[in-house]
Amino acid sequence: MEGDIVQAAKFIGAGLAMIGALGGGVGIGLSVQGALEGMARNPDTYGNLFTNMILGIAFSEAIAIYCLVIAFLMLFVL
Amino acid sequence: MENSQTRHRPVNRWLVLLFFVLSIIAATIFPPIAPHIQVAPEVISAAPLFSLPVLGNIYLTNTLVASFIVYLSLIGIAFIVRRAIASGEMVPRGFAGAMEAGIEALYNLGESTAGRWARTIFPWFATIFFIVLLANWMELFPGVDSIGSLIEAPGEEGYPALHWGPVAAIVPEGTPGASGRYEVIPWVRVASTDLNFTGALALIAVIATQVIGVRAQGGRYFTKFINFTTIFKKPFLGAIDFAVGLLELISELARILSFAFRLFGNIFAGMVLLILVGTILPAGAKWLQSGVLVFEFFIGAIQAFVFGLLTLVFMTMATQGHAEEGDEGH
Repeated sequence: MEGDIVQAAKFIGAGLAMIGALGGGVGIGLSVQGALEGMARNPDTYGNLFTNMILGIAFSEAIAIYCLVIAFLMLFVL
Repeated sequence: MENSQTRHRPVNRWLVLLFFVLSIIAATIFPPIAPHIQVAPEVISAAPLFSLPVLGNIYLTNTLVASFIVYLSLIGIAFIVRRAIASGEMVPRGFAGAMEAGIEALYNLGESTAGRWARTIFPWFATIFFIVLLANWMELFPGVDSIGSLIEAPGEEGYPALHWGPVAAIVPEGTPGASGRYEVIPWVRVASTDLNFTGALALIAVIATQVIGVRAQGGRYFTKFINFTTIFKKPFLGAIDFAVGLLELISELARILSFAFRLFGNIFAGMVLLILVGTILPAGAKWLQSGVLVFEFFIGAIQAFVFGLLTLVFMTMATQGHAEEGDEGH
């Protein structure tokens, strides 16, 4: 019984931790939106904007990945 | 791969169809089952390889095997390309041509970002890119994460196994002829799913960044972190500059963490996804998990590119004095 409650708490905790991915998703969406608008207005900037967009995506994605790591720790390590 | 299409070889298409059909047959006969998942890499040598004074015993882990496969195949690729160049052809064809096109695209990117420091920074960027790319793509190969030694599982975990002489396969519950409870310890596991590998790469990238910064600016590079340059002229703004310098120091340390966890998190998530999707799908549609392979192919390439590109950008920022750098990535 006690083990079951611990198991359930792990699953709930992992699910709650992944709420943080919300921020990463919003951040990635905003950066792609900005880059695409820039590209649509001035297609010549494609190469430069694409590189910087990937960088921005990587930074906002890192936050979501921290949540994912926490979720993995709860599921498979603790 | 542009140059490999010069001759028309329709057999390649039929190979794709053949592998497609084979994957359907294989997934029907041996449906994927959820194995034991753990974050730490599995130890596959019984005795420690060697001992270090502070770190203790060093064991052979399956991610270490994978990383050495990556290094050896990179050296092999280097020899293939070198032989193609030494053969005297002006336009290398096939694999060497593809590598040349790739290196050229990477070098153009490096040169447009790093400017006159491109020749110093590019080797770091390209080496990290190729190591991480090969390490990530290893998870697409059949047998990685799935072929290994069978051990008795503790308690109620594990799956029954079918034995044929020296080889055996774990199968779902209720398969006729299967017995016992076993777990598979894979011999090869993708190197990027080990925090030691990603952490080591991150440490190398960040420390090399400091070295390149010192080479570019000399001792002045450290005034970025401990900034007393303006505190005597303008006490208030100088104090703010000093605090900003300390924040730079912290952000430099945070880079190690974010480098390591970004790669590890993405690829470990990919590994779990590859393993679990097959077990979630209904019985007739298990072969659909091959679609996840395409996704993982993409993710692996993107993560390798991001790791290399961030190294390139941080090294470039380190070569510039702090007058130019207005926006920090964090």
